[in-house]
Order: sequence, then C-alpha cells, then structure tokens
Amino acid sequence: MFPRVSLTSDISRADVARIRDWLRDPEISALWYGTDDADGHALHIGYAPERICDADADEWQQVFNQDERRIFSIYATDEDHIGEGQLLVEWPLEEAQLFILIGRKDLWHHHYGTAALIALLDEAFDGLELHRVWVDVPEYNEHALQMFRHLGFVLEGHLRRTHRKDGNWYDSFAMGLLTDEYARRRSRVLAQYST
Amino acid sequence: MPVITINGVIGSGTLEIGHLVAQNLGINYVDRYIFAEAARLVGSPVSRLIEKEQRVIPFRERVARFMQTVLERSAVAGAGAEPYFGRGVEMLPAEAYTELVSDAASSSAVHDRAFIDATTSVIKELAAGGDVVIIGRGSNMILADAPGVVHIGLLAPLAVRIDTMAKREMFTPDEARAYAEELENARLTFYRKFFRVNANDPTRFHLMLNIGRISQSTAAEIIAHAAADIAGAPAN
Repeated sequence: MFPRVSLTSDISRADVARIRDWLRDPEISALWYGTDDADGHALHIGYAPERICDADADEWQQVFNQDERRIFSIYATDEDHIGEGQLLVEWPLEEAQLFILIGRKDLWHHHYGTAALIALLDEAFDGLELHRVWVDVPEYNEHALQMFRHLGFVLEGHLRRTHRKDGNWYDSFAMGLLTDEYARRRSRVLAQYST
Repeated sequence: MPVITINGVIGSGTLEIGHLVAQNLGINYVDRYIFAEAARLVGSPVSRLIEKEQRVIPFRERVARFMQTVLERSAVAGAGAEPYFGRGVEMLPAEAYTELVSDAASSSAVHDRAFIDATTSVIKELAAGGDVVIIGRGSNMILADAPGVVHIGLLAPLAVRIDTMAKREMFTPDEARAYAEELENARLTFYRKFFRVNANDPTRFHLMLNIGRISQSTAAEIIAHAAADIAGAPAN
C-alpha cells in the first residue's frame, strides 16, 4: 500500500521540536549533515533546531515564512508528523534545491520518503511552477540516491570530496529533474505502486 | 590530471560509461551540471539552455508559433484590422520573419551567443581544473585544441540504444525508439548549428568505440587506459 502524505507550510513549534529530537539520534544525523564540531549539535538546513524552538515570534516568522526557502512539515494520513521537506528557490533560474528528511526511523524503507518526495515535487512543479529541481546527495546516503534515481532524477555531476561531515570529506552526487521529465516519470512510478 | 570528453549517439551509454570511467580513475564526472552552471552565468532557467541542445522545433510548430506571433502582434497593433486576423502578414515587422527560420521563438529564449559563450566558459573552467570526465555538450569541439584532453566517441546499434533508453526512462521499446531518434536528431542539429561539423565524425575523437560489440565496463577500462596513454594519467 502506497502511503498518503500531505505537506503543510504552517510549521508548529511541536513539529520543530520533533525535528530536533529526531536529529539527536546519531543514526539519523549521520545520514543527514552530521554534527557541529563546536557544540556537538546535529546540523540542519535553514535553521538550528536546538535553538529555534525558543525563538521569539519575529525570528520564527523570518525563518518559516521566506519566499526563497519554503519549509514544509510532512504528515502521513496514518502516521501523523513524519518529517520535513524544504525547497530553496532561485526564482530567476526557476529552480530549487530540494531537501527531505524522514525523521521516523520506523517508517524508513516503507515508501514514505518516495510519497513525500512526490508531494514536494508536485509543489515545486505544479504549485511554484519551477522548471528544475535538484538535490545534492552525499555518497553515504545510498537509499536517498536510489530514491531520487527512481523518481527520474538525472545524475548531473559526481564531484569528489566536496561534502564535509564530522571532519571527513565525502563525494557528492548532484542530481536534477526537469518539469517535463517529472511529468513523464510521475505516473509511471505511481503505477508501479498501484499494481 | 586527466580530462576526458565523452560524446556519442543518444542511447550509446555515454552517461553510464562516463561515470564508470570517472569512478575507475577517481575523478569528477560532469554531465548536465554544465548547463546548470551555464544557466547561472546567463541568469536563465536551465531548461531554456537544454532546449538549445535537445529540441528540434519541427517546421509545422515553427509555422504555428509564427502565426501565433502574427496574431499576438496584430492584437497589440489593433486599429484597422480584422477582429481575429489583424494586420496582413505583409505588415509584420521584419524580425518576425527571422523567427520563422531561427529558434528564437519567444522573447524569453536565450540568445545563441550567450548560450554558447556560457557553455564554453563552464567547460573550459572544468577542464582547467583537471581530473574530470565531461559528458556531451559539444565538449570535444570546445576543447578540440586543448592540450592533454582525450576525446572519446561512442556508437551503438539502434537495438542497444533503444534498450538503454527504455531502461533509463522507463519507456516501452516504441517510446524509447522515438525518444532516442528525436534526441539524436537534435544532437546532430546542435553540432551542425554551433560547430558546423558532423557530431559523429571520427576525426574529431582520439578513440571511437562501438558499444554494440563490447560491454560498458570494458569500454570504461579501455578509455581509462587510453587516457593514461594519451594524457599521461595513471590508470587504475
């Protein structure tokens, strides 16, 4: 059964607290951006989960209501809050860098990531009418590489030793998807799960 | 510091073989990344650059766009015209006729000069950095005179190309065939238009390989050894 997920840009403090708690799990932060050398806190994209939970309303608005960085909480209809997606938009280029984190470890490898990715791509291509979405996947996240490839992301570049985590350098896979490529791929992928 | 360009007919496995070569040699691999970087230079969406390379606008579509232009300009011009058809074609400004025989079909299109300058700049910068496999984008022509750069050409029978595209794009064989033919036609046009050469001319390469006769992994090994021989790079 292919999971049903939805996105909301109305991020609650409870959502961010869960992101913070998920990233405290070394297994999750190891597949994400590792930890800060200085304070040992898990690194995240766009904001610091350990600190933002206590932010005032103004700072909260600045982080979660940006035109260029669209942050979404990912909810599954049967599992409540399961993760976070972000689209870092470059409007003149009509493209966005995509980030996706499924924080519920027990749901990994059950297609929740794929379902969330499709929701984010629908938002990028249909909602925001972008032309290209790209991701930068470190070599150690094999499952993410496989998921993006399955959704039709094309390997645009494999750059050596450009991704730094926990004091070590790793290769980085730049993968991209254009709007017409996604249109071709989406129905075929969904058809696979419906049979 | 090996720099290797790999260009080949659509579906011959340039992407897969190029990545294998890069992995064998432990060097960077760049494919559409070139256009992503070039798009930043010209400040235009990457899809408009890809359109330059991958899309042949059929004559009928050009005529349709031309007529659309006629109608839009007539509508703007307004006075003294028929409600639907506006001014006669003979009254159109000269640049509209130019659009019929060029691909600058919309005001948002990237100009050819800006496109090729940005692509050339990105490819030359990548080559200057060394240690890279560069896929397609006319890289063998752009770096034709660059010392130490090894140019590889790939060919494959249609059946192999269809199989490659079907697997890569989740296509049926018929869809894969049509897609491969469309893209190959566009690739040949791209080389003719921007470099005035036949894309598959063997004299433009150090080495040409028929992927219908050898496996992708063998091809990757041959290319790595050729790079070591030609450019003095260490072969693994």
